Amino acid sequence: MELYVDRDSWLHRLDPRTKLAFTLAGAVLLLLTNSVWLILGWLVAAHAILLSARVPWARLRWVWRVMLPLTVLVPILWPLFYREGATLIALGPVQITGLSLVRGVAVGLRIDALAFVWFVLLFATDQTRLIRGLVRLGLPYSWGLTAAIALRYLPTLQDTYTTVSEAQQARGLVLGRGHLLKAARAQLPILVAVLIGALRATDQLALALQARAYNPRRPRTSYRELRLTPLDGLLLVGIAAFTLAYLGARLALGFGASPVGFGS
Amino acid sequence: MKRRPPRGPDFGRALPAGLPAPGGASAIVETAVAIAIERLRYSYPPLRPGAPPVEALRGVDLVVRRGELLALMGPIGAGKSTLCQAIAGLVPHAWGGTFGGHVLVEGLDTRRVEPADLCRRVGLVFQDPETQLFNVSVEDEVAFGPESLALPRDEIARRIDWALSVVHLADCRHRSPRQLSGGQKQRLAIAAALAARPAILVLDEPTASLDPRGSREVYQVIAELRRSGDITVVLVEQDAERVAEFADRVAVLAEGRVAALGSPAEVFATPGLPERLGLAPPPVCELAARLRADEPDLPPVVTLADAERALAARLEDRAPSPTLPARGADGQVALSPGPPVLEVRDLWYRYESGVEALRGVSLAVQAGERLAIVGQNGSGKTTLAKHFNGLLRPTRGAVLVEGEDASRRSIGELARRVGYVFQNPDHQIFAATVWDELAFGPRQLGTPEAEVRKRVEEALAFFRLEPYRDEPPAALGFGLRRAVGLAAVLTMHPLVLVLDEPFTGLDWRATAAALDWLRELSRRGHTVVLVTHDMRSVAEFAERVLVLAEGQVVALDSPRSLFQRPDVLAATSLARPQIAELAARLRPHGLIGDSLTVCELAADYRRARGRPPR
Repeated sequence: MELYVDRDSWLHRLDPRTKLAFTLAGAVLLLLTNSVWLILGWLVAAHAILLSARVPWARLRWVWRVMLPLTVLVPILWPLFYREGATLIALGPVQITGLSLVRGVAVGLRIDALAFVWFVLLFATDQTRLIRGLVRLGLPYSWGLTAAIALRYLPTLQDTYTTVSEAQQARGLVLGRGHLLKAARAQLPILVAVLIGALRATDQLALALQARAYNPRRPRTSYRELRLTPLDGLLLVGIAAFTLAYLGARLALGFGASPVGFGS
Repeated sequence: MKRRPPRGPDFGRALPAGLPAPGGASAIVETAVAIAIERLRYSYPPLRPGAPPVEALRGVDLVVRRGELLALMGPIGAGKSTLCQAIAGLVPHAWGGTFGGHVLVEGLDTRRVEPADLCRRVGLVFQDPETQLFNVSVEDEVAFGPESLALPRDEIARRIDWALSVVHLADCRHRSPRQLSGGQKQRLAIAAALAARPAILVLDEPTASLDPRGSREVYQVIAELRRSGDITVVLVEQDAERVAEFADRVAVLAEGRVAALGSPAEVFATPGLPERLGLAPPPVCELAARLRADEPDLPPVVTLADAERALAARLEDRAPSPTLPARGADGQVALSPGPPVLEVRDLWYRYESGVEALRGVSLAVQAGERLAIVGQNGSGKTTLAKHFNGLLRPTRGAVLVEGEDASRRSIGELARRVGYVFQNPDHQIFAATVWDELAFGPRQLGTPEAEVRKRVEEALAFFRLEPYRDEPPAALGFGLRRAVGLAAVLTMHPLVLVLDEPFTGLDWRATAAALDWLRELSRRGHTVVLVTHDMRSVAEFAERVLVLAEGQVVALDSPRSLFQRPDVLAATSLARPQIAELAARLRPHGLIGDSLTVCELAADYRRARGRPPR
């Protein structure tokens, strides 16, 4: 579950708030974009950014693998349900139009582009700095700590599930057989044991936190400081300017509103 | 002026109104006293609404002197952890409950000071590294305390450097705690507690879940800390040998009260006292107690060094007796004849991560045998054990159970023949009652209900779990949960019983009782395979020992022969148990030198002194 790719690159060194700004701007702008070409542009840009940050191809391929069902299904299903413009092929009651084909591809690719825009943030920012960034932006520290601890314990929970699953199988529990309900019920001894363990761990964790002076109502300092460098400043201004320009073009001129071409 | 308790889900219970003021105790503070505990009584909130509160401490009086190392011992449930948390203020602030008496830490009354403030004076290290290390890097973990204390950045940086150097983790600064070994994790926990620069360090069984190497690392750090500074240490420890070696004083808790307080010699070597307290003293103390029957002038013996000194001197007095042959011909163990019940042929195993955990292991286990598998963490012990019941399948090589290829059978089918008891009983316990928990295994195997009932009743009696038959096992104390875990596998009546580190967290008394159960099972025909770090259990229980290192078999021998091979032990960082070590050290003084138990060594000694054996 470790999304963070540990490298030393310009992207990694950016303040998490800058990367968050990019990701949020990208998400908003992408959702307003319908043009296949522009979406492809976003995808290429995201890949370029990630590769320049020395994120290995294997990771990018992983994202495509995970997104594959949507990337394939949406362009196939979209034209079956939506019709726009001139018909290309008629299969009985179903009419497939050229425009809706293109739009289907655009929508499918847009989901991928959205994913990649988020991964620009997640691959290049470790959990701690991400949460610190959010806290600096106003998220209450206790929420940030909760999120950080939850992320940190996710792999532990997975390991516990595996161990408990083995332990119960060693007592004769049979998994993965029978119809859905039966298989689900077979998971019960595992899930209950994991839950009890998680609750116990929660108690212990609460004690450990307090033993290290944690008190949500008191002010705290931060060892790892987040500082905006000049590059951060430049990029933030650039992102803001780009976002405004793009929004203006989209809303006033219809830039990117049509699936084909660039105009409306 | 009463402080309001902090709000939040943990602090739901208000402190009882009308608590008496601490009186004169907070007025004058002796500089030589670090912690003063007077008439401390504490009950946790009840387990279920309407149930009675859980009494943990029933009137503890204790003074901890500045700079000393005080060991806290006692059976499970005696209140040791509660006392540790009371010193740190977590009791009562984190738990609520009913608190009586007072605890003064460096003059501060813990009822009136929040744990967040107390942690500048008291650092607390818990037993389980997993639930006290919650940050993403080593550096962040150590920084957390000072950050919570709102210290300036440069001060935090200084403290991180200092704390990491004290525990020798400076080169692991940027690593994730999850990648560290057990010993490193606990050292990190110590560093994280020390970052607040407390004058008192409380450690609640810090090495219970560690292998021998990790355990040594932690104790080395504690010893260095004491040498270099004026730190007071309160240590909960089950291992009497460690306590004898490190502690200035020992406080024994029983049923929520201090049952004994004194130097290790006073607590361990006073005749009859350890038994009365339910304590298992270091083996050399037991030995000295026996020998004192003939030689009342034997000096007090508490550590291995004491014993060596005392006995070596006395052995020199007499001319060495004619050398008698060593017990049991070397390595020859009388095992049952016939085909092996468990066999492993040239077994290789590689994990998905690429780690080769087993590299060509071959082994044949006879029916009814008592086999121990030892080695450091990472040597492949658990990996090998998991092949016995099919949890893991070989990458290369074969595993045979009762002569049949195990890979042809599912885990469920193998579970009938090979029972596997996991290290952590909480990884198995899930049922609503102990009865159901014990019935689960045989029911899964399709055993007829009447037979299931019979087996469960048998197990309840054998393990003395009858009073708890209708209790939820998850709510029982740790020792009882262990018993339930073991019983739940035994009701399946497996031919072979594999136990993975079953004694972690138990003191020697409980361990010896568990070994008695296992011996009884062995007598009834079950084969027992014990994966363990505890060399004393190996000495007293195993017929053969398999030593693994880096996935390969380094030795397969009787315990007696193995302990005569210091080269093997050194190569695998394993140590002889105390009695075997003492026997080896006394060999140049005329002893045969191969004894494994207190009885054997006592008999050897008598013989060497020219007395008739008892």
